[in-house]
Amino acid sequence: MASPGDDIVSPFGPLQNELARMRGANLTTAIQDVDKIIEYLVAARDQVAAPDADHHRISMAMTTLQNPVKDRLEAINNDLRDVTKAQRSFGKALDKALPQRELPMGTDAMADHPSLINRAIAMHLVREGQFSVASTFVRESRDQQPPLSLEPWSPRTARTDEDGDDDMIQEDGEEERLTGHGVNNYPEDLQGQFAEMYSLLSELRNRNLGPAIKWARQNNSRLESAGSNLEFELCKLQFVWLFKGPEVNGLPDDERNGEMGALRYAKEHFARFQSRHLKEIQQLCGAIVFAPNIEQSPYRHIFQIDSAFEDVATSFTREFCSLLGLSAESPLYVAVTAGSIALPRLIKYNKNTKEKKTEWTTENEMAFETPLPPSMIYHSIFVCPVSKEQTTEQNPAMMLPCGHVICRESLHNMAKGSRYKCPYCPTEGHLRDAIKITL
Amino acid sequence: MTDHENSSIKHSDHLLLDQPLLRLPNELLRKNFRAAHFAIEKDTSTLKTLLRDSATAALSGRATQQDVLKNLDAMISRMRGVKRKLGAYADEEARLHTQTAARIQHLDELYTMHSIEDVKYEAWSRKRLDRLLADYLLRHGYNDSAKELASEKNMENLVDVDTFVSMSRIREALLNGSVAEALAWCTENKKELRKMESKLEFMLRLQQYIELIRTQSQPKLVEAIAHAKKYLMPYWGTYPKEVKQACGLLAIPPDSSYGIYSDLYKSTRWNELADLFTTTHNSLLSLPSVPLLHVALSSGLSALKTPACHSSHADDIYNDTGSSSALGHGVCPICSTELNDLARNVPYAHHTKSHVEHDLFLLPNGRVYGKERLEDYARKSGLSPNDVKDPVTGQTYPMDLLKKVFIT
Repeated sequence: MASPGDDIVSPFGPLQNELARMRGANLTTAIQDVDKIIEYLVAARDQVAAPDADHHRISMAMTTLQNPVKDRLEAINNDLRDVTKAQRSFGKALDKALPQRELPMGTDAMADHPSLINRAIAMHLVREGQFSVASTFVRESRDQQPPLSLEPWSPRTARTDEDGDDDMIQEDGEEERLTGHGVNNYPEDLQGQFAEMYSLLSELRNRNLGPAIKWARQNNSRLESAGSNLEFELCKLQFVWLFKGPEVNGLPDDERNGEMGALRYAKEHFARFQSRHLKEIQQLCGAIVFAPNIEQSPYRHIFQIDSAFEDVATSFTREFCSLLGLSAESPLYVAVTAGSIALPRLIKYNKNTKEKKTEWTTENEMAFETPLPPSMIYHSIFVCPVSKEQTTEQNPAMMLPCGHVICRESLHNMAKGSRYKCPYCPTEGHLRDAIKITL
Repeated sequence: MTDHENSSIKHSDHLLLDQPLLRLPNELLRKNFRAAHFAIEKDTSTLKTLLRDSATAALSGRATQQDVLKNLDAMISRMRGVKRKLGAYADEEARLHTQTAARIQHLDELYTMHSIEDVKYEAWSRKRLDRLLADYLLRHGYNDSAKELASEKNMENLVDVDTFVSMSRIREALLNGSVAEALAWCTENKKELRKMESKLEFMLRLQQYIELIRTQSQPKLVEAIAHAKKYLMPYWGTYPKEVKQACGLLAIPPDSSYGIYSDLYKSTRWNELADLFTTTHNSLLSLPSVPLLHVALSSGLSALKTPACHSSHADDIYNDTGSSSALGHGVCPICSTELNDLARNVPYAHHTKSHVEHDLFLLPNGRVYGKERLEDYARKSGLSPNDVKDPVTGQTYPMDLLKKVFIT
């Protein structure tokens, strides 16, 4: 393993020097020499063309022309030699700075799915707000053979074949509506969604919470069932923002602004949050009493909103994408970044198996561990402490009555008849007492 | 913990995908120089002879003033021609130098970052993604999209639009049944192609021959024989089998069905030619044979994939609209619509260590959550302090039905 710190010094310094040298030794010097030759030739022509030019003068002109032109031709050769030299040493420096290493190209599993990749790219462009590039891309891929298969896009296409026992969705017409017009016109519909998201985000950045609050209210039931407080967070920020008064928020100085405006806002809007957020509402309203010197009050932390708009924008993006069934960060971005982290291991593994002519037998699972940063681990992963295998649908995690967890296969391998002893504590138990758990 | 180590950037390993970024302009610089050199060589050697001859002629008195002037004019216009050509090469050279400088700087930036969690790293990695996307788009002939992306992201210097646009022009021509463009490219790169023992030119010539025979008209057949003598026979030693087949083809009309000969008449040969051209082109310019996006994706999808990503359970957490994953980083990228189908056939990542929430508790419905998440969710839902609610199914349970889970 490379220890951290061993490659911190950039290898590109020397390369930059070589580049500077190469930029110095370029073809323009040769052009200057060509210019000189043209100059000599033109001068000689003038002499030859002169009205008083006789045989003697002409031969003189032609003879004296020989050497300077030859010298210049020689100079051009030297110029070119310098260019090659500089190029060569740049090439060497390049080999040193970025040693050629083979990439795993043997089996290109991705090549079989151009339309899936195209779809991923189109969605990536749309979610990044690159609408015009996205529409160019969709047009170009439509024109080409084979055309990008425009599979109807709907949130959670994966779930359509499932039994649909998700009551949350059934009771909510919102989802139906969304799916309803999501079908058949991907990605224009998706684009509309993201266009809305970006316009709301830009309002948010301009400290205008109104549109976002309106959106959150419309989608309130789905947000709440997903465990999100977005609407309340937005309203809370709106309260604080009004409370700060016209000097800070730059809104008109009227009865809808300042402390009184905030109180009025609270009266109008906070009632619906009472059951869930009573305590926070009490705090907010309690703070009004301390209005003149809020900095010294126990409530000051509520009113520090330096990064609040950015935070709220981030959670807004996350919730918005979640409701579409999409991750907040572009999956393509995460996958490519993870890919570049995993690549060295993959290369090493390929090399080793090639040398030893061994092959990994579990085809569903990679043969080596990739050290991903914690932020790139999304699902709970349970590795059975007995078999050292990850649990899967076929081999789920089982909890023994003592609270220890192993996978089902290990449990059955361990059991004698229908009884077993926990490998981690002295407890013994019966197979039917082990519970399948979902992490 | 090792977490920190996992986030640190191993710079030299991290640039594996970025080799072609500097290799290509370097190859192009060399190619440009060779072309410039060739042009100069040819014209200056003519100049030399012309200069010497006209001087001797002038000295011997054989040449009149007009003759000498004519010679001088010829020399001047030749050198002006050289200057014009060189000017174009110098411009290309300058462009490649600027490009190289921008690319070195971009790669060098990575060395100012040490952790993947660094904000600057995210910007860098996004730029890399944009580069890989542009590369993918260009390789598939989506040139307008690539150009637009490059200009929107202000990264024209990091993207090889010109190279790929001229490549796809030749490719298109082949797919439309024209070999002229590809043959011109072969002439341009004659030496290098010979060095790498490329079969491309032969295959192009063979195709020309096949097309002549396909017409079955007498003058064209005669032309085909001449063509074969001139362009195919020189390859007798290298590709004896193909040349013999070509000869045999003369006797076989296109509508007959003699195995190998009907294969030669197939229109799919044009696609094969286009592919052969692409491979040759890429290896000549030391470009990777597959889009780098494919390499990055297949490695990345596997690294991120877990057995849960394609599980059939309708009620699992990741299938639930709007709920974020257990570890609190939002919806998993592999479960997200964009990549889900694509990742279906790749293997999942290998783990030797469990990654679960801290302080796990079992709910009576068989689901396990971290204590913090349960408390958080109960607070958000406005439950009494003695109750918890399953963040996924929404079921509410009294606290004392919870059981502690031990993960070893």
